[in-house]
Amino acid sequence: MTPSFDDFVAEQVTPLLRYATVLTCDPHLAQDVVQEVLLRAQQKWDRIGSVDLPHAYVKRMVTNEYLSWRRRRAAKDVALCMTTLESVTPPVGDTTHHYDEREAMLQRIAKLPRKQRAAIVLRYYENYEDSEIAQMLGCAEGTVRSHISRALATLRLDHTPEPAGVGLRLGEGLS
Amino acid sequence: MNDTEQLVKDALGKLAERTPHPGPTLNALRRKRKRPRNVFMIAAAGAAAVAVLIFAGVIASDRYAPPSGNDAAAALVPGNGNALKYAPHWLPDGFVEGHRSVENGQVVRTWVPTGAAENVVRGSGPSISVASGSRQLDTTGWEDVTVRGLKGRLQLVGQVATVEWKAQETLVVTVDSVADLRETALRVADSVRADAKAVYQPVFRVNGKQASEMGGNGPADWFAQINLQPVRVRVSPQAPQVDGTRTPITLRGGQAFVVGDTVAVQDGNVWIVATGSVPVPDLVSIIDKVELLPSPDTSWLGR
Repeated sequence: MTPSFDDFVAEQVTPLLRYATVLTCDPHLAQDVVQEVLLRAQQKWDRIGSVDLPHAYVKRMVTNEYLSWRRRRAAKDVALCMTTLESVTPPVGDTTHHYDEREAMLQRIAKLPRKQRAAIVLRYYENYEDSEIAQMLGCAEGTVRSHISRALATLRLDHTPEPAGVGLRLGEGLS
Repeated sequence: MNDTEQLVKDALGKLAERTPHPGPTLNALRRKRKRPRNVFMIAAAGAAAVAVLIFAGVIASDRYAPPSGNDAAAALVPGNGNALKYAPHWLPDGFVEGHRSVENGQVVRTWVPTGAAENVVRGSGPSISVASGSRQLDTTGWEDVTVRGLKGRLQLVGQVATVEWKAQETLVVTVDSVADLRETALRVADSVRADAKAVYQPVFRVNGKQASEMGGNGPADWFAQINLQPVRVRVSPQAPQVDGTRTPITLRGGQAFVVGDTVAVQDGNVWIVATGSVPVPDLVSIIDKVELLPSPDTSWLGR
């Protein structure tokens, strides 16, 4: 039996927001993306609601929306800094000594090109296999491995200030 | 799983704890959900909306700024130009224009401290932008403000202040990492006027699409680009910085090279670079189709 759109939203809106937050590193953008996707899903619910796994289908819509998202400040294709992020949704108390490391890592993840970031999120947050990530991102498994390998190589580097200059390094903000 | 991978996993888990409450999303959905409507109702509503828009446009333009004969001319700039339409008449000391983008009817102009155009690209550091177009933000929960006698909304989040109001179009001022955020944002918004002269000249076209953005610090330090998903095409007088072994090829009658998922060629005084996860022949084909403007307009950069 096809679930109603309202039931679907009631059940899935929080998981979708959580996934979008991790994907975008930006709670505001996550809200925008999920809202946009759900509005579109509602219009096509007769079809989407009848597929085997509607939530997987809509999650893929969220991924695609994020990868193609053109915001008003489209050029600022970098997620919010952690200061901003924390002002929006204050972090819960954390006294472990790993906190600074995780925060530094989040800042590096936020600067990854979108597809690399999506691949990292799907692998290490959603625990997807290469084949599942490839399906989600619409690319070959080899490309997925390449995205993850390059992202991990970037994330392993010590974070040092970038030299001044207008140009992005090639590939930054895109892959 | 090694240490880096474990740290990535932990960091993402931490980020997930900052998921926003679903309330605003659910409220927005309730407001915006589209329900099937009778075709005749849609037609009638459309006609009414057009009438209201025309009337409101006249009223709003009267309240917003004196009628200007140049406005119509600006919207019909001949050739490749796109009218930028609006500009602030007040900015904090030291801010210069560093970025323009025109895409899907949405225009964004951004000012940054002298020599800091990279702030726009990296999304960090002080910047002030003025956006115009039809896209409306979800301003649920924002503070009510007045901008030149019109009803507006303001939001402060961290180091970013955003002011939205509607004149002939929806206008948005965004102030990032600037002192006295609220006051600065409102003062900039109050100073925004129609700008009949400023025009965005796309530096290049590819497959009929124009470069959607341009930024930089001056005539020798700029870039223009378009994201064709999954390929980004970028043109700049600066040589690309790219690591890895370069495989030379011939392209556009000159020497070019391939590195990973990037193809670059120097054409005259500029470099054309295509990057994306597609086969190299596809990148080559895209670069071949790039049509360059003979003399890019860089006069506005840094001013």
